[in-house]
Amino acid sequence: MNDGQKANTSDIERLVKASQTGDRNAFDKLVRLYQRRVMHMAVRMLGNANEAAEVVQAGFVKAYLGIGKLRNPKRFEVWLLRIVANAAISRARAAKRRAEKVKAAGYYENKKTLSPVERASARELKEAIQQAMLKLSRKEAKAIALFGLKDLSHRQVSEIMGCSVEAARWHVFRARQKLKGLLKDHL
Amino acid sequence: MKDKNEQIDLLLERNTTEQLETVDWDRLNTAISGRLDQARQGTTSRLRFRTAFKIAAGLVAAAAVVFVIVAVRTDTPTGVQFENGGSAVVKFVESKGSASIQIQPIDAKSQVSIDIGGSRREVAKCDIEIIDVKEEQQKNGRRPAWIIIRMPEPALADNGTSRDEMDLMCLL
Repeated sequence: MNDGQKANTSDIERLVKASQTGDRNAFDKLVRLYQRRVMHMAVRMLGNANEAAEVVQAGFVKAYLGIGKLRNPKRFEVWLLRIVANAAISRARAAKRRAEKVKAAGYYENKKTLSPVERASARELKEAIQQAMLKLSRKEAKAIALFGLKDLSHRQVSEIMGCSVEAARWHVFRARQKLKGLLKDHL
Repeated sequence: MKDKNEQIDLLLERNTTEQLETVDWDRLNTAISGRLDQARQGTTSRLRFRTAFKIAAGLVAAAAVVFVIVAVRTDTPTGVQFENGGSAVVKFVESKGSASIQIQPIDAKSQVSIDIGGSRREVAKCDIEIIDVKEEQQKNGRRPAWIIIRMPEPALADNGTSRDEMDLMCLL
């Protein structure tokens, strides 16, 4: 269960309204509630926790600066996920345009967790997924990342993506088709 | 087909889980907090800059108004006190344009600079004649007077106008 779900809807709404009046502590609480969830989505989209961490930071800053424009506090999660998803897409595409390997400093890694063998295997899979995700279209990358988030309805996914539920499903289908080919060595 | 789809989903989820296990959440939270502080400071700085800019713009506008007022007052006839020498700026009454007159002293030839229009400007020594109008003493103590400037011949030749036309009457 993610942190965002631990707080009930009215708590979230209250925190969002407080944040809209400039209450920084309230926004910090929202960050703590949602950081794991948005990180999950960003990692699925980028395949790399370090890149995802950069995107999540930028996403929260954008949300913080723009929260006054959010009309319906109940839609905070969808709104935040859309911001972070767009930030992730932009970062990945910018790296692709520069033909650079997406790479960020390992600042956020807690390296105690994995053994060297596990780490090598994880790194290989991470790099393969990272490269594969770059070969998907924006919509496909968003769709496959969002469909992996628990407790996010197809309708919410379509809202975040700005398309119909059917279109979102189609993008997931296309993404899976492409990934099957791109990641066949890991299946 | 379904198995392959599930395998893809499992592969992505496995990578995500492995990646998330390496994240130092406290450090990430601190980093986000720092970025938010920077964003707030940036917003505050921008607001301060805007305020400072507005104040500066207001001051410039006020200074411009003061300048215009001073310029108008300077341009206003200052009375007939030529015995002490000095300079005066007069406005033409009968001809469009302006002239600045340096009187040095009253009975000698004085330097007159006349804007004829556009970028044309004539500077010459000439005789001036002041016709004082004492009976029109004003409440503020100023004495309005008429001044007649007669331009010398060379300047007139360049201008192609007759001498009579270049006798200019000004009100001081």
